[in-house]
Amino acid sequence: MPDYLLELSKNPAARNAVKKLNLPLPLPENLKRITGPWPEQPLAGLAVDVGHLPTAALAPFLAKALCSAGATVYASGSKSQFAHYQDSATAWGRIAKSVEADAKSTGYKPHGMIFDVTNAQSPEDLKAMYAFYNARLRSLASSGRVLICARPFEGAKDLGAAVASRAVEGFMRSVGKEIGKKGATAILLYVDEGAEERLIPVARFFLSHASAYVSGQPVRISNAVTPPQAFSNTRSLDGKSVLVTGAAQGIGRQIAIRLALEGARVICMDRPAEEKATAELARQIKGSALHLDITDKDAAKVMADHVAKHGRKLDALIHNAGVTRDKMLVNMDEQRWDMAMTINLMAVMETTDSLLPLMPADARIVCLSSIAGIAGNPGQTNYATSKAGIIGMVKALAPILSKKGICINAVAPGFIETRMTAAIPLATREAGRRLCSLGQGGLPEDVAQVVTFLSTPQASGITGEAIRICGQNFIGA
Amino acid sequence: MAAKKSAAGSNRRAVIVGGVRTPFIRAFGPFTRLNTIDLGTKAVKGLIEKFPLPLKEIESVVWGGTILPGGVAVNIGREIVFDAGLPMEVESFTVVRACTTSILSATLAASMIERGDADVIIAGGSDSTSGVEVRMPPTLVHKAAPVVMSAKSTPSDYLKLLSKLRKDDIVPGRPSIRERTTGELMGESAEKMAARNEISREAQDAFALQSHLRAAKAISSGRFAQEVIPVETPDGETVYTDNIVRGDTTLEKLAKLKPAFAQGGTLTAGNSSSLTDGGAALLLMSEEKAKALGFKPLAAFKSWSYDAVDPWDQLLIGPAISMPRALAKAGMTGDDVDIVDIHEAFAAQVLCVLKALNSDAFARERLGLDKAVMKRDPEQINIHGGSVALGHPFAATGARMILTMANELALGNQQTALLGVCAGGALSAALVLEAV
Repeated sequence: MPDYLLELSKNPAARNAVKKLNLPLPLPENLKRITGPWPEQPLAGLAVDVGHLPTAALAPFLAKALCSAGATVYASGSKSQFAHYQDSATAWGRIAKSVEADAKSTGYKPHGMIFDVTNAQSPEDLKAMYAFYNARLRSLASSGRVLICARPFEGAKDLGAAVASRAVEGFMRSVGKEIGKKGATAILLYVDEGAEERLIPVARFFLSHASAYVSGQPVRISNAVTPPQAFSNTRSLDGKSVLVTGAAQGIGRQIAIRLALEGARVICMDRPAEEKATAELARQIKGSALHLDITDKDAAKVMADHVAKHGRKLDALIHNAGVTRDKMLVNMDEQRWDMAMTINLMAVMETTDSLLPLMPADARIVCLSSIAGIAGNPGQTNYATSKAGIIGMVKALAPILSKKGICINAVAPGFIETRMTAAIPLATREAGRRLCSLGQGGLPEDVAQVVTFLSTPQASGITGEAIRICGQNFIGA
Repeated sequence: MAAKKSAAGSNRRAVIVGGVRTPFIRAFGPFTRLNTIDLGTKAVKGLIEKFPLPLKEIESVVWGGTILPGGVAVNIGREIVFDAGLPMEVESFTVVRACTTSILSATLAASMIERGDADVIIAGGSDSTSGVEVRMPPTLVHKAAPVVMSAKSTPSDYLKLLSKLRKDDIVPGRPSIRERTTGELMGESAEKMAARNEISREAQDAFALQSHLRAAKAISSGRFAQEVIPVETPDGETVYTDNIVRGDTTLEKLAKLKPAFAQGGTLTAGNSSSLTDGGAALLLMSEEKAKALGFKPLAAFKSWSYDAVDPWDQLLIGPAISMPRALAKAGMTGDDVDIVDIHEAFAAQVLCVLKALNSDAFARERLGLDKAVMKRDPEQINIHGGSVALGHPFAATGARMILTMANELALGNQQTALLGVCAGGALSAALVLEAV
């Protein structure tokens, strides 16, 4: 069940041996993760290289994000762009260093390498991005971050800008595949005009070690939803009530734990059969337990009553409960189809509908999809249909809910080490683990980190997105 | 005891009628055998000698100390009441807020007066750094206790005990000013701040030189004579002046010193404050009472701010938050303030605080303001030197600063003074005084 290559990789003697003997073992990097509550300064003591196109727009916002997160900034760009970094760095008690765009990172090991390619006019402008990374990518620290920011290609001003924006995605994906063996990730943020302020907490999250297993992803930051008046980077969910379905085991359990670490009062919901585990979890994280099968006729009402009983609103709803009922389509009986579709999709739609009245402005909904829903999988026609349906629900509801200030997103985990995946035969399991840039399976807490972030007030820039948490898995990419 | 009066409206102002301090003496020197209580007693006795008033008018002693005599008498203010011969009806309490302790004792007293709970309060602080508790290794206690505690031990038992003791049992642990959460020596935290903010060794030494020269001038010109009282030590000698100040120091001498807190660091013994023994006491009254007793007040309390920052990030940057906040509470900007006095824990720390105070970006991001509230260069602050030159008995420094600033306001054409103090635990305090 454990990932033996990863275990081997954690042993420095073994690593040396493999290297010296030139064994063809792809030892994956032991990823750095955040285990406790999110710190005030997740980038404290870390260096970050930042570069810009001359006309790029995001220097003031990246400066705020990096400096308030405690990073030491090495910035290249125009004088006015650098002034933003100098300003923010002074406010946070550091000096930002000015470097040449095509300089190597000498004397320090950068944790992050950011390039701001917003307002590119044509693919020619992308050469600066190539030069920036070509010079320094070699020095990227293990478990490091490559972050590229661009304008979305939809709604681009002209053909040149649109082409450049879309082209960046190919660059980002390839970089992700090159740096994966260091445990480093690559992310592309498409920032809408007017959504720049919302970039700051998102950049902080994707640069921190909380986003360990997300790589090769484009994420859109829109200004559809009003940002909160104020938010805290630590204990972000203080005073918030969050309901998690399927909380007793695996990913759901880790989601509940992480939400509680960030201050939320978690309603842990699972089937009555899991009563013991659910109750214990609720006690451990000082939340409450709701023993309920989501397919019950009155499930939605019972859930709503439980929330309202404590005089609370529902600040976030996490649809995590889900089942597989695998069978090749030609052998799949009606019951298997119905179960997967009902639990994974129809119940989700129904309960969301019923709980919406309890959700205030600034509320969040996160649904668990799967890369099976994106790529398909033999034997999982039912599962994949339901999980693709989740993505459809999220994308359809996002514009409607944004008028109420509510964000709704889906996350699509790749190969996550859980009870479910431990049951897969060894060969398939190995393939599942290795066929991603990071060369290893993810942990349930990796999913929990992203789900929790999407539940916080400061994730107002992200809605209608389906974010893969897959370590840049090759399947369906 | 004078009857407690009820508040007569919110127009009651608390004024500083006078104050004194002992000389500030380097630790393990002439004041070694005076503990924190003794130094406080000397200050309070000196105060009532210099500012005579019927003792029964005194209602409270609000005192501060950080190095408190071994668990014996932690409310040292009350012990000072007894030792100084004040009437037993004088109530007392003791506060601890690291280096901002006697700013706090003064503002607590001012609050009591403004609220009408009292008319006359003695506030201040003292510390004997020489008296710091030195911990013997636990192994010593484990080996010695059975012998020492037993009534049946014979001389041969004691000899056996001596033979069992090793060097590790009897070498005491070195006391150090280490932050409990981060485990860093305060100098190490300041060294980190200096490196990040690129404060050079030369800049620190230049500021230290300024502190020494200005303090030396204040002593030689007699400016401090009105504030410092002579103290007779248990050894029979009388100490008249601060003994850490070096009026003859130069940049060359300071440059020769080795880094004290890090290999290749910039902080040295010369540009850091020293371990010091001393005490300072202030006589606070309500304005009406001061008039009634025939005293001319020196200054009044206008506003104050107590704040805290992240000890992991920049332990000692707090004054850059507190000073603007105190100004805002007073409805003032930096341009309105005549004198600025910042406690010099380390020259590097003062320069970091000034950098932050002068920075518009800092004001925007940390204080929610449009631009920096006050801009000052290092030469424009600490007109009579500071803790680097005079020394820093932790709980006495706040009262020393208030005393010097109050006298300064009474002396001349200045209207307002702004004080800023950083403290271990990543705390800070700021105070605005105004002339009366």
